Parts: sequence; structure tokens; C-alpha cells
Amino acid sequence: MKSPFDTAVMKDFVKELGEVSIKLIKGSETMTAIDDIDVGTAPKELVYEEDKLKLYHYVQKGEVTCSIPVLIVYALVNRQYMLDLQPDRSIVRNLLQHGMDLYIIDWGYPTKADMYLTLDDYINGYLNTCVDRVSKETGKKKINLMGICQGGTFCGIYSALYPEKVKNLVTLVAPFDFSTNDGLLFSWSKNMNVDALIDTYRVIPGDFLNAGYLMLMPFTLNIRKYVDMLDLIEDKEKILNFLRMEKWIFDSPGQAGECLRQFIKDCYQQNKLVKGELKVGDRVVNLRDITMPLLNIFASADHLVPPSATKPLNDLVGSTDKSLYEFKGGHIGVFVGTKSQKELAPAISQWLHERAGEDTKKKVPEISKKARPDARKIPERGPSRPHSRP
Amino acid sequence: MENTKQFFDSWIKSQSRIIDGLTDMARKYQESFWGLGAQGGGTSAFGGFPNVYTSWTSAVLDAMRQTGAGDVNLMQEVLSKTLSGSNAYLNLYQLWLPLFKAIRDKSVSPDTYKDLTDPKKYKEMLDRVFGFDPDVISQIAVQTAKSFEALTGTSQQFMKPWMEAAEKNLKDVPHMMEGRPEAYMQTYHTLFNAFDSTFGRIFHIPPVGKDREKVELLLRSFDHLSVYLAKTTEYQHTMYITGMAALEKVITSITDKMNRGEDIKGFDEFFDLWVDVSEKTFFDLFQSAEFSQMQGELLETALKVRQHNFKLMELCLYDYPIALRSEMDSLYKTIYELKKKVKNLEKQAEEVTP
Repeated sequence: MKSPFDTAVMKDFVKELGEVSIKLIKGSETMTAIDDIDVGTAPKELVYEEDKLKLYHYVQKGEVTCSIPVLIVYALVNRQYMLDLQPDRSIVRNLLQHGMDLYIIDWGYPTKADMYLTLDDYINGYLNTCVDRVSKETGKKKINLMGICQGGTFCGIYSALYPEKVKNLVTLVAPFDFSTNDGLLFSWSKNMNVDALIDTYRVIPGDFLNAGYLMLMPFTLNIRKYVDMLDLIEDKEKILNFLRMEKWIFDSPGQAGECLRQFIKDCYQQNKLVKGELKVGDRVVNLRDITMPLLNIFASADHLVPPSATKPLNDLVGSTDKSLYEFKGGHIGVFVGTKSQKELAPAISQWLHERAGEDTKKKVPEISKKARPDARKIPERGPSRPHSRP
Repeated sequence: MENTKQFFDSWIKSQSRIIDGLTDMARKYQESFWGLGAQGGGTSAFGGFPNVYTSWTSAVLDAMRQTGAGDVNLMQEVLSKTLSGSNAYLNLYQLWLPLFKAIRDKSVSPDTYKDLTDPKKYKEMLDRVFGFDPDVISQIAVQTAKSFEALTGTSQQFMKPWMEAAEKNLKDVPHMMEGRPEAYMQTYHTLFNAFDSTFGRIFHIPPVGKDREKVELLLRSFDHLSVYLAKTTEYQHTMYITGMAALEKVITSITDKMNRGEDIKGFDEFFDLWVDVSEKTFFDLFQSAEFSQMQGELLETALKVRQHNFKLMELCLYDYPIALRSEMDSLYKTIYELKKKVKNLEKQAEEVTP
């Protein structure tokens, strides 16, 4: 039997630990040279404001080739600038370059004054108003909706309630079938006394949610990530990108209690959306009422919203034109991964251009077969190491 | 530039401490390393290294605190986490050092690892990963006792059993980590005894005056606190036991490598192995229905304590000219409903306006 640690190796351990210190010092020097951690830098204009919500229109410097505007709807958890986290990895910039006309909702940071906001307020209120506003601004009766994560669920619900206002629906890593226990959040939520949680906090602090996310991979997210960071720490650009991601991860708005109460109870615990029993305001949501073209994008290694929660949507809608797109990666990779920029954004653009009807001004270049979404059935993968979190 | 200057000024000041640490390390390195250190697998072979390391880290943090650049809070936080992560890396190194030595002497086996690791140190490591703060629980109990004392005017002796209980429970933690059920139960007994000798007595005191409601509410709070303490002990115990199981798996993995004649090339490789094995072991725990239920119960018990604290606070502040939480909630509700009405009226007005 051979010992894996001989004397020379022991000396290497000491050397490695010494190097950690040296890296820290050099890294601190790099960090003090960074004045600002800029995120969400693609130029945009505020076009509407209501309570904490802001609706922005991105400045299109080139030609709009797909004249049906896209309203991007992000989750209430975390901030929408994930889609424009850094200039060279920005879904927003990428779609703008592909001739899209983009609007985005910033839900803001709810305070105690927002504790009574319900799912009805968010969907029949804010979201509906934003859709109407974009329609009015652009003169289009129907617009494209692109919903991300929980924002995708919201867009699915909205499209079922207002199919006459939605031209095409794109959902990215959005949960619909909550019966799964593939993701820890799904399993943990089922045993949570959500009434006690909301009645105590009223507005659930972002830190509470963050603690839950960190628990999904505690060793990787609390230790390994920062130890690994030491390898990047001398490179200002790399460390800046790391800091941008950190900024986004811990920039967590609180959650309006009543909305979260219904979302957890009706969706995570009772799976009412899939059962056709979810009531938003005075209307019951039937996913079969989604009849417009659907592009449903899932990430094969998503540990937060597993494919088993996203993929069933295609079997539940009434649309005849529906596509399922597998992104080979995790939840975060969908937005900032290299593949996302090279393949996913062009694929979304292509799909929307093809379904813009008479309004499309010119034909966009063909995308590669690899990037083209289709309705193929793709075998699911088991959980893999996440990038970090939603 | 000024910030950078401050940073380096502060950093330079720390150099003397660091040099001392380096000197100490070099001496011990000479004395101990080649002889593989003290008997019993102590960490004295590299005793100086942590001094150097912590000097570095505190210097860096101090310096960062003095800078005032944009987004400095985030950078401080990231750096703090990095330091915390790399301190965990160092702790892990210290924790495993006796094992490395035993491995080198070929005297390690999956059966003997418990004698070569320090459960207290490993617990500290897990506390860092999961954010447990053992002092917090003791402090909550002591704080509750203090509040009670303030309300009831009981003697200072009231605190004593709680202080003793907290101290005793902390001592039991290493045994709990080793999976000794008697240690686990002991924490409950200790808490019960403390309860019995303090709050338990109060049940026999006839209610007096206008503070009766407060006292009763505080007693109910304490009931909930006791339930929470029991649940959090169970939760942390599960985490520590799982941590020990992960440790055992790491040993098995290393032994397997040894049997296959493979090398571990450096501490980084070992660190990766430890993280991967620990992550997988905890993932298996987290995925279980039992854990999900326990976590749900823990949250519920914690929330009940908090809810009672809010009620108690309201009761204590009732006579003061301060807007209470429940009053603000009611106000928020009124504003919410009025806003909704206005929005609906605006929408209706828009629809009828040509």
C-alpha cells in the first residue's frame, strides 16, 4: 500500500497554503482598483412607472427587424439585470443586435407597504398594465412575452387569461408542474408552513430566500466558490465579472407576503396550475387557453427549476405550434453562459422572427441547426453542479 | 488613490505581526516538520502558519474597511467571504493534519479516523458552512431570562441556571458529533432542569397586577423557545452527524486510493475531494422526506418564537406614543385597498374617455 502523502507532498501543502495568502494580497490590490461594479448597462428609457414597478424600453441603435415587441418578465426573486449582467454576456444586447424591440419590467423592491399585494395584483394588475402600455406604445394589438423563471410562470398564467393580447410566448426555465421533487426547493416547500412564514414576516426578506439557496449546495457556495475565486483574483476583468455575479446573487428584493403565500400554497404545495384549479383574481387559469405559439426553454442541468417542472407545459397548452428547447447547462448558464450567447439568443430571435407574421421587415439569416429549437424529446439528466443560484 | 494608500498603510502596519508569525513558523517548521510533529498528531508542526494566515486576513479586512470606493460594501463582503472560505480551507488543513501524518505512517484506517480528528474543530468547520452560531441559542435563552427578570423583578439568581445550562450544552457538542445519543439527550435534560429551576417556579406564583398579561405572554414565549431549542438541537445534531458520515467517506475514499497505489497531488485535490464528498452526502440528506419535514418544523418553531416576541414587544410599547406593528399593518391594508380602488376607477375612466 502506498501513502498518497509523502514528505514532498506535505511540503507542497504548506506551499499551497502560502500561495493562498499571496493571492489574497494581490487580489485585494486588484479589488481596491475597482471603483464600480456596473450591471445592466444596455441603454434603456423609462416609459412607465407604477408604485415600485418600472417599465423600460431598450434603445435599439440598429434596425428593428422583428416589429412585434418583446416584453421581458423576470421573476420577483432577484433582479432583472441578470439578462444584461456584463456587456459581453448579455441576452438583452444579443437580442437587440438581432433586431428585436425589447421592453423589460423592473418589479422593484417591495417594502412592508406592499405586503398585501397578491398574485392577482401582479398578473391582472401590473403585468396587464405593462402589456397594454407596450401595445399602446408600439401600436400592436398583440405583443411577444418572454418570461424567465417565476416570470415565465406569470407569463404562462397571463397568456392563458389574455390570449388575445399575446402573439408569441417564450418561457425560460419556468416552473409549471410543481408536483416534482427533483429540485430541493420543490421538496422543501411542501413542508413549509407558509401561513406562519407570511404572518410573521409580512414581506419575506431577501436574505431568508438567499439562505435557502445557499443551502442547496452549502460547501460549493459558501467555501469552494471563494477559494476558487483566488485563482482569478489577479485578473481585474475576471474579478469584476465575479463581483457582478455576487452583486446579483445577493441583490434580493423582499417578497410581498400575500403573493408569495398563494404562489407557494397553490403552486408548490397543491400544484393547482397544472390541475386547472389556480384562481387569479376572480378567474380560474386553464393552461389549455394558451393557444399562441410557444417556445419553452429548459436547462438540462437546472437544480433550481428541474426539467420535470418545465417540460410538461408543452403537453398542457392548447397551442399547435409549440417548441421545446433543451439548453445543455444550469439555471444561470441560460443567461450568462457562452452557449447562451452563441446559440440560445440567436435561436430565440429566429423563432420570434419566424412568427412575427406580416410585420417582419426582412428575413433574418438562417441559424444553425444546432441552435434551432424543435419539439424533440430529450432525455433528462440528473442533478449536476450548479453555477451558483437563480 | 487615497483609498489605495490607506489600504497599503494599514497593510504595512500588520507586517510586524506577520513577520513574527513567519519566524515562528520557520522555527517550528525546522523543529517539527521533519520529525512529523508532536506525539498524538497535534498541529504544532505548522503551528505558526495559522498565525501568519490570520494576520494576513485581518490586515486585508481592516484595510478594506478603511477604503471608501464605490460598491465597497460588496467588495468587502466578497473579500470577507473569500477570507472566510480560505480560512475554512486552512481549518480543513489543520483538521486533517494528524490524519496526513497517520497516512504517511500507514497507520490510518476507516476505523481509527475518529481518534485522529478533532470533533470540535470539525464542528467549527460545519458551523462556518451552515452559518450556525452556537452562542446564539445560549444568548436567546439568557436574554429571555433577563427579560423575565426585568418584568418580574426576580433575583439575579434567576439567570444562573440558564448560564450554567448554556455552558454545559456547549461542552456536550463534541460528544453529540460523535453520535452519542446520551449526549444528545443530555442537552434536553440540561435545558429542562434550567427551565424547572427558573420559569417552572413561576407557575406557582400567583398572578399580580397589570403586568400579568406580559408575564403570561413571556411564559408562552418561553414555551415556544424551548420547543425551538429542542428542534434546533435535533437539526444541528443531524447536520453534525451527516458531517461525520461525510468525513468517514472521505477517509474511505483516501484509503481506496492508497490501496490502488494512487497519489493525492496536493491539498487542492484533497480539498476538492472533501467538498465533493461532503456535498453529495448532504445532498442525500437534504433530499430525504425526513429532512424536509424536520426543516419545516424547525422553521415553524422559530417563527412562533418570533411571533410571540412581536406580541410581547407590542404589549410593552402599548403605553408609548409609538405606532405599533399591528397598527401599521392595518394602515398598509387601508392604503392598499384605497390604491386598488383608485386604480380601478382610473381604468374605468380611461375606458369611457374617447
